[in-house]
Amino acid sequence: MKLDTSGLESFSTLTAPGDDVAGEFSAPPSFQLPNSNDFDGFVKEAIQMVKPAKGTTTLAFIFKHGVIVAADSRASMGGYISSQSVKKIIEINPYMLGTMAGGAADCQFWHRNLGIKCRLHELANKRRISVTGASKLLANILYSYRGMGLSVGTMIAGWDETGPGLYYVDSEGGRLKGNRFSVGSGSPYAYGVLDSGYRYDLSVEEAVELGRRAIYHATFRDGASGGVVSVYHVGPEGWKKWTGDDVGDLHYQYYPVVPSTVEQEMAEATGA
Amino acid sequence: MSIFEYNGSALVAMVGKNCFAIASDRRLGVQLQTIATDFQRISKIHDKLFIGLSGLATDAQTLYQRLVFRHKLYQLREERDMKPETFASLVSALLYEKRFGPYFCQPVIAGLGDGDKPFICTMDSIGAKELAKDFVVAGTASESLYGACESMFKPDMEAEELFETISQALLSSVDRDCLSGWGGHVYVVTPTEVKERILKGRMD
Repeated sequence: MKLDTSGLESFSTLTAPGDDVAGEFSAPPSFQLPNSNDFDGFVKEAIQMVKPAKGTTTLAFIFKHGVIVAADSRASMGGYISSQSVKKIIEINPYMLGTMAGGAADCQFWHRNLGIKCRLHELANKRRISVTGASKLLANILYSYRGMGLSVGTMIAGWDETGPGLYYVDSEGGRLKGNRFSVGSGSPYAYGVLDSGYRYDLSVEEAVELGRRAIYHATFRDGASGGVVSVYHVGPEGWKKWTGDDVGDLHYQYYPVVPSTVEQEMAEATGA
Repeated sequence: MSIFEYNGSALVAMVGKNCFAIASDRRLGVQLQTIATDFQRISKIHDKLFIGLSGLATDAQTLYQRLVFRHKLYQLREERDMKPETFASLVSALLYEKRFGPYFCQPVIAGLGDGDKPFICTMDSIGAKELAKDFVVAGTASESLYGACESMFKPDMEAEELFETISQALLSSVDRDCLSGWGGHVYVVTPTEVKERILKGRMD
């Protein structure tokens, strides 16, 4: 099975051949396959072990002034919350963002790898890579590892020469261009709020609030989402982080506790 | 996920000085989806006896209705309320009757017995009683609850301090569990009064 290891060829073109110091970098690194009798069975077991339920909520949408990207920050292992402060919006480069859903290690590694390839493209072609090109690079790599148990459900959002761009890319090899996406176990709840509040001509503040509200509602209903809502805005100058609100406080901001009127109040009985 | 984790729950009961406190979370869910945030898990049997039922919500409701029925019959025949120790034995017997098709519940029983001495106990789903002198826990967040109670508990606390301790233990434990939380419900019972309070918690 020929794997596309071009994603790992970062250093090979930069070192001159015969250079002893950098000799170990000249051969492209590759993933070793395990030495087992039953390779298929082993891979199936490994997939089951790593297979997280994509417990998260991330969303992104294009509007008049660019792209809004929002996500929660909870990592869960079955019922246990392993962390409430995971960075799920990955900064690929100053004008492109990726979101994390699925396996954290898979998303972090391949997004960082994508950032390297984008930078190499810039150096080789003297111009920035488009969002279309970047998402295609990632989708091709993930397709070549299809069936091996990678779990990645990501959105690539950015601003290039043609304006704002948004693609959904996943570890099954799918790549979709679109205007509104939400990924993860909390996505149905986020879609409900996002779809009903969306207009193309929102202002930046309104769009940030819509993204934050949609993630908040998903964290309320979905058990596997929670923690902190992060909202980023990608404009012509690049991305900027707008909010990082804790969902616990957001709830009481949106729905403050109204002290209920007491109809009959008990008085202390004097003497017992 | 197992059948005990289908609805999600967290329950804890603690003993203080001539008083006890019993607390639960308020979430009712269907696996990861939250359906309600005001679900009652703790019910009163009589003024000095409370039972909380964790686990599958439908079994908790049915079991509670059966227990109320049995206690009312007891009241008619004996013309008095049941002692907590007796009630615990009743629950244990009812659960073991269904040994080969059990109720998927774990009860937490808390009451004031003779001389207003606090009594708490918990059981597994087929009626194995576990009496404790300090605290008992049940539910999907039980492991976190054990840790929190172990570190926060002190013997012979007064009612107000007991309330603070049990609330902190409950809220910090459910914050580490996807399937329980969304607020808290605490009953603090002394020989003279029952104080019911709702806790503001993280709603995620």
